[in-house]
Formats: sequence, C-alpha cells, structure tokens
Amino acid sequence: MDWLIELGRRMRQLFRRKQWEDDLAEEMRLHLDLRAADKGSEALARRKFGNAALLREQSRSVWGWAFWDTLAQDVRYALRTLRSNKGFAAAAILSLTLGIGANTAIFSIVDAVMLRSLPVEDPHQLVQLYLGNGPSKGPIATNPIWEAVRDSQQAFTSTLAYSPDRFDLAEGGESHFASGLWVSGDFFHMLGVPALRGRVLAKDDDLHGGGRAGPVAVISYAFWQANLGGDPNVLGKTVSLNRHKFEIVGVTPPWFRGLIADQSFDVAIPIGCEPILHTDQSALGHRSWWWLRMMGRLKPGETPRQAEARMNSIAPEINRATLPAEWSAQGRAGYLKRSFALKSGAAGFSVTGVIYKTALLTLMCVVGLVLLIACVNIANLLLARATSRQREISIRLAIGASRSRVIRQLLTESLMLAVCGAACGLLFSIWGARLLVRLLSTKSNPLDINLSPDLHVLVFTMSVAVLTGLLFGLAPALRATGIGPNQALKENGRGAVQGGTRFALGKALVTGQVALSLILLTAAGLFLGTMRNFLKLDPGFNPHNLLVVQSVVPADRIPRQLRTALFGRILSDLRTLPNVRSAASSTMAPVGHYTWNQDAHPEGYQAQPVEEDMLVYLNRVSPGYFKTMETPLVLGRDFTDHDTLGSPRAMIVGEETAHHFWGNQNPIGKTIGMDEPGRNNVIYQIIGVVKDAKYAELNEPLYKTGFVTSAQDAQPNPEQTFEIRFDGDAEALIASVRPAIGAINKDAALEIRTLDAQISDSLVQPRLVALLSTFFGFLALLLATVGLYGVISYAAARRRGEIGIRMALGAAEGAVTRLILGDVALMLTIGTVLGVAISLVAGRFIKSLLFGLEATNPATLALAASVLGTSAILAAYIPARRASKMDPMTALREE
Amino acid sequence: MRDEIPPGTLYLLILKTLMRSGELHGYEIANSIQQISDDILQVEEGSLYPALQRMLLKGWVTAEWGVTAGNRRARYYRLTAAGRKQLQTELAQFQRVNGAIQRILQTT
Repeated sequence: MDWLIELGRRMRQLFRRKQWEDDLAEEMRLHLDLRAADKGSEALARRKFGNAALLREQSRSVWGWAFWDTLAQDVRYALRTLRSNKGFAAAAILSLTLGIGANTAIFSIVDAVMLRSLPVEDPHQLVQLYLGNGPSKGPIATNPIWEAVRDSQQAFTSTLAYSPDRFDLAEGGESHFASGLWVSGDFFHMLGVPALRGRVLAKDDDLHGGGRAGPVAVISYAFWQANLGGDPNVLGKTVSLNRHKFEIVGVTPPWFRGLIADQSFDVAIPIGCEPILHTDQSALGHRSWWWLRMMGRLKPGETPRQAEARMNSIAPEINRATLPAEWSAQGRAGYLKRSFALKSGAAGFSVTGVIYKTALLTLMCVVGLVLLIACVNIANLLLARATSRQREISIRLAIGASRSRVIRQLLTESLMLAVCGAACGLLFSIWGARLLVRLLSTKSNPLDINLSPDLHVLVFTMSVAVLTGLLFGLAPALRATGIGPNQALKENGRGAVQGGTRFALGKALVTGQVALSLILLTAAGLFLGTMRNFLKLDPGFNPHNLLVVQSVVPADRIPRQLRTALFGRILSDLRTLPNVRSAASSTMAPVGHYTWNQDAHPEGYQAQPVEEDMLVYLNRVSPGYFKTMETPLVLGRDFTDHDTLGSPRAMIVGEETAHHFWGNQNPIGKTIGMDEPGRNNVIYQIIGVVKDAKYAELNEPLYKTGFVTSAQDAQPNPEQTFEIRFDGDAEALIASVRPAIGAINKDAALEIRTLDAQISDSLVQPRLVALLSTFFGFLALLLATVGLYGVISYAAARRRGEIGIRMALGAAEGAVTRLILGDVALMLTIGTVLGVAISLVAGRFIKSLLFGLEATNPATLALAASVLGTSAILAAYIPARRASKMDPMTALREE
Repeated sequence: MRDEIPPGTLYLLILKTLMRSGELHGYEIANSIQQISDDILQVEEGSLYPALQRMLLKGWVTAEWGVTAGNRRARYYRLTAAGRKQLQTELAQFQRVNGAIQRILQTT
C-alpha cells in the first residue's frame, strides 16, 4: 500500500506546484547565500552547489510530474497548431464526429438489444432453455412441456416461463393494446424482482383457471405512471384485458422492464389465467401450441454444460409425457428425439436482436468502414502536413529532441483531434440512436429500447477514439521523424527531382480508400436494389386502396354457431358503406405475418421425399375475396353463397399448388383430403385456380396455397379479417367502418389499417438499411474523392520542378496530364480489384438482407465501380490539369 | 584531497546526520557531513535537494519552515519513524557490503 500513500503525496504536491517551486527556490537561495558568506565568494558558492536549474529539474522529476508537464506542453502546442490550421482541424473533427457518432449510435442499439445484462439478480446465472431436434431447436415450448420441466427438473435452482402477448385495454370498439406478459408464478421471485407496491405474483396465483386470489395482474412502473396517473391507491383496482377484469396486486420497480430488451412490459398475468381469456380452447392442455419461453437459474458453481446434461437425462421422459397424440407417426418419432440446449439468458431475449441482427451487424460494419476511410483521410492530410512541417521537425531533432519525444508530440495532436471528434460523436450518437429506433419502430411492432448511454457505450467510444487517433496519427508521425535530420534539412533545399517513394504511403492509403469505398458503394447498390425489388414486386394482389380490418368478438359471449352469421352481417353492412367498391373477409390477413399450414392429401399424387412436399398454406375466405383483392381467377369459379356446410366441400388453389400436385392436368374437379380437428381426411373438391399471391410475407418463397370458404367452417374462431376495396379517402372510410361494426357487435375489438401502410411497415428494415447504406456509401465516396484530390494536388505541387524540366524539354500538356493521371489509374485499378474481391467474399454475410438479387450481382458491382472511377478521375483531373498549365519558367525559377 | 562519496550512500549520510542532530536545514546538513568527515567527503551540495525531495516523497523525513539564527526563513528536515527504519536498513546493507569488500581486500 506504500505506493498508494506515495501517490497521495504526489497528488498533494501536484496541486501546490507553485508553492513547491517557490519553497525549493528559496531553500536553494538560502544555501547559496550562506555558503557565499562563509567562503566570501558567490562564484565559489555556485561552483560548490552545482547547476541549480538542473537540480531543480531533478527535484521536480522525483515527484513524477514530468509526464504531466510534457503532456500539458504537448496539449498547448497541439492546440496552437490546430488553431493555426482551422480548416484542417474542422474537417478532421467533422469527419470523426460523423464516423465515431455513427459507430456509437449503432453500437448503443446493439448493446441495448444484444449485450446489456438484464437488471435482475445475477443475470449471468440465467439460461434460456431450447428444445428440439438438431438445428431446429427453438426457444418456444408448449404449456405441457413447461409444466413437465417445472415439476421434474433438478438441474436449476428455479425455472420460469413467459410469453409476450398484447392485451386489449379497450372496453369495446377500436383496440388499445397494452404490452403484456404471461408469466409463471415464480417469475418475479426467480429473477429477484421485488414489488415497489403491493406484491409480485406467487406460485398459487398461477393455477389453471386463475389462482386463489382470482385473476390478478402485476403492472410495470411505466404503465402505472402513464395509464393510471401513478394513483397511490392502485392496489385492488382492476384493469380490463381483452374485456376481462384482472385485479392489480402489485407494481414493479422502475428499473424492471421485463425480459424483452426492445419492448418493455405493461401488464404481467399468470399463465394459469389463460383459459379466462381464451374460452374457446385453452392452450394450457394443448400439446402442439408453442408459445412459452423457458429460463432456468443455474445452481451455484454449476456450468451450463452440466445443467444441460441433467436436463437431457429427463428429456425422454418429458417427450413421452407431452407427446401430441394427433401427430403423424413420423412426426411423433421425431418428437421423441427432442433434446434440450442451453443458451445464455443474461441479456434476455429481444425480437430486434433476432430480426435485425444481421442488419445491425451489417450497419456496424458499414459505419466501421466509413470511420476507417475518415481515418485514412486524416492520415493523408497529416502526412501532407508532416511533410510541410519537415523543417520544423528536423530542427527539433537536430537540436536534440529524441525521436520518441517528437512522435509523442505529434500523437498528442492526433489524439486531441480524435477525442474532440469522439466527444461530439457521442452527443451526435445519442440523437442518432433515438432517430434510428424511431425509424425502425412501427405501429404493429413498437420498439421501446433503453438507450441511455452506459459504461459499455462510453468504453466503446473512448476505445474507438484512441484507436482512431493512433490509426491516423502513428504512420505520419513515424514517417515525419524517420528521416535523419541531416538529410531532411538538406532535402528541404528543394531538390529538382523528389524521390517518388515519399508519396508511396499516401498512395497506398488512397488505394485502400478506393477499395473500402467500393465495398460501401456496392453494399448501398445491393440494398437499394433490394428495396427497388420490394417496391416493384407483384404481390399477386393490388395493395392500394385496400383497407384491412382485423376484428375479434368476445368468444364467451358469441358461441361458435352464431359467429359465421355475425361476420356475414358485418360484411354485408360494410359493403353498403359509401365509397366501398367491394368487401370480403378471411381468417388470415393478407401478408399479415401469420400462417396456417398443414399437410394435404391430394388425389393421385405420389408423395416425394422433399421437405414440405405436402404442405399447403391455407386461408378461409368469403365469396368475392379474390375480386376484392384483385387476384385473377385463372380457372373454374369463385366461392358463392351456395357453398355451405350442406354442400360438398370446395377449395380454390393457387397455380403452384395445382402444378405441384397435378402437373399439366386440369385440376378442376380433382379432390384433396384435409385433416380437421376431430376428423381426418375430409375430402375437398377443387373448384377454381387463382394466380399465386404472397401469403404471409413479401419476401417469402413461392408457397403452395389453398383457400376454403368461411360458410363451410364448422368451428369458426372469434377472429375475422375484413378486406375493403375503396375509392377516395381512407380516414373517412375508417371513421364509418368503426360505428358500422360497433352497431352489430359493440364488444368487437378492431384493428384497422390500409394494406399499403402495413406493407410499408413491413419494409421498414430494408428501407432503413438502404437509406443508411446509401448515405454512408456516398459519405465514403466523398471522403475518398477529397482524399484523392488532396494527395494528387500535393504530389503535383511537389513535382513542380520535375514537371517544369519535362515541359522545358518539350513535353506537351497532354503528356503531363497523362503522367499524373497514370498514377491515379494505377491506384484506382488496384483499389477496385481489391474492393471487388472483398465485396464478393463479404457478400455472403448479407445474403439474408437481400431480396431478388445476389450479393455477386455484376451490374451492381459495375455500377459502383464506374461511379467511383468517374468521381476519382474527375477529382484527379483538376490538379493534373493545373499542373500541365503551369509555366515551366516559373517552376524552374523557383529552384 | 577530497573524495566523491560512494554512489548510493547519500541517503544514508543524510539519514544518519538527521538522526544525530534532530532538525536541520539543507545547508546545515551539507556542512555537517563535511565537518564530521573532516572535509574528506565531498558532496556536490546541490544534489542534497533532489535527494531530500525523494526522501519527502518516500516519507522518511518531514519538512517544516522555521527561522535561522540569522533570522532567515529555512526549511528544517526531521526524521520520521519510517526514516529511522530506513536508516537501519541502509546501515545494515552498507555494513554488509562494506564488510564483504574489506574481507576481499584483507585476503592475501
């Protein structure tokens, strides 16, 4: 601990520097005076004393202030040089602000959704429990699996299950959703989250059909404040979730936002209450409804591996106990082989982290490359400056400054630029990250990410700053001091012909910039192409002027047998509204992200050993659906009101289905068997074929689709989607749709949007990636062009003498221009080849972000290369032209 | 004939001097070392000061301003407990080395 005490003394003295200096000087003066009086000669006293200035310097160095002194000196000096070069300093700081700011912004999102630990007790003991076969292991389980795991596991100290959902807070009419969580009884205890008010949920709240205290809910602090005005008497009040009352028993502390990093929860209710909300059929006993995520807390000292082994020792037992009986023999055999895998749960789970992972990492690379280009630019500028400061540096070296001392001083300058850039960048990033999240957030998937900068982000920014400072500062500093002072001073007398090697580093840097810019431009081109492909994609229906109304009626109040008639009444009323051209209904919303698929048994088709060979994606639609969607009917007829439960089952298939199962035969009249709840192989007759249309997503592969009709549904669900083709204003129509449906069923929960808006929402990621990569691509292009221009102008200026001689000896203007442009062409060629090579390799990683084109798309590469080439040649042409216009006499006279 | 003091013994000399005399300022320390060694040991007087600063840093001595007989302000140094301990250490080390050298020199 001695060094600590010493450090204390050092610091104390450091703050009393002035006093200290005075004391030492006075002490020495006394000594000299006394000695002089003793010897009778001041000179003698001085000789005996030694070099007072040096001794003071030595005394100072005892305290170890030299480092700080030099630093202060360097900083002062750096500030002075930067101030005298305002243009350079501003350009450098601006490009660093953009570069570091963009990096920090993207990193803070990556940090928030993928890296940051949950604010719960010992988050590193938490693991997510995956279950499945081989690579298809998923994080989602059925309730019977969860209950079996909960009751029989011995691998963890405790386990929890949860499932995000949304609950409608409205009492009727248009829905107002709260972000909800189904949680197991132990959820809060296991995470170590206490209640701020009241109590958290307990095991006996989580019983099938509701716990001892009835249906109870725990709300988040944010929800309490925003929706209940922070009401101090909130406990005991009720909150309406999908028209069912839940008693509020507790409020969680503000720091707990749930386990989902990009969506904080509003209301948590026990899994056991599920039958209250879903009266038709409960998921609690269902063996093939996958909806719960499971987590475990590792026992102290146990590794995830050991816990995984323990879980897998009980896996066969759990598989047998939860086997879905209705599955095919093959499916059941596969089910019995399922095993567990553990993944870290410390950061929780986030949809953004999964959906946007590749996009975020790609953007991270993009902004990283931009920063690299900015660094290269600054390095080039510094290099040019170092050469013009050669004389100053040579003199310093000549009068005895050590090389490391000069390098240190030059690096201080670079680091100051970097730190200024980082500070501005950090501010920029706070704004930038919020903007990004706002751009990514849509009505259907609102993101709520905690972006307050934390230690991770600060450390990241500081490391980036230091790294960039060293990156762009080190080479020029080494360069500037690497030349012997003698040679440098000599050379400064403007030799007629400068060695070309002096620019080699600058040229290499520009070549690198060309390569990096090409990569970024290629990426921008690919993402723009993807966006264009999405926009001009023919989805198989007309998405414009189409209103989509998703409705849910209360299942407990509208029994199944009344539902078809109720939805029919709503539909016929909607058709009478003004400006409605046609209307139809379906169970699945078009491109609504949800799927209903099952194996079909088509007549006369020999099953092939291909994945999803028999799988058909289904929808149940009303007559007039295809007309409303403007999906052309290719063969046969549409459903009519005569297709009822009493008539033979009818099916309309997509062209792909018809072709897959029956090749070139006429599919009309063929039959297809479908398994239905309680009845296997119900026979359907094909009555029509429609053009293929997108089913759940715009970027899905071509699915085999099939349509059955609503009137032939024996067990209708309480959800129905209405599609309305309209003219004129959507808002006006929405205003009339709400009361029209409300008049028939006032409890119906409604979600209304235009299909255009929904599609636009689903394109938010490709749009954002295209936007950002284009922005950064052009920023890179700009930086690289400026860099090239700078290096060429500088090189041309340094070669004035040489060029003057050439021209005096008869070289034509064109020859001089060619001489300089030849250099550029070489850099450009090497850079382009490098850039293309790297783009081709890196393209593999962004495959999942592309749509309708390959990463190796030659047209995109060619376009990027030509944009880059043209800008580069233009940038180089100006200084080349200037050099060729000069008067050789002027140049030579300068020698 | 005056001799340079052996390297590394300056601290020992200062510590010993302060141990004997209690409180001294820089000039007195220099004088004391010269007088007691009968002017044989030659200290470059100024080099006392960096040494004293180092000893302050190490906590072997403390310093306080006082007034000399001639009524001038002077900084007086005094040993601390740590300084006394350091003196023992340095002394033991010096004697060990000195003894070893003597033995080598006396061996015929």
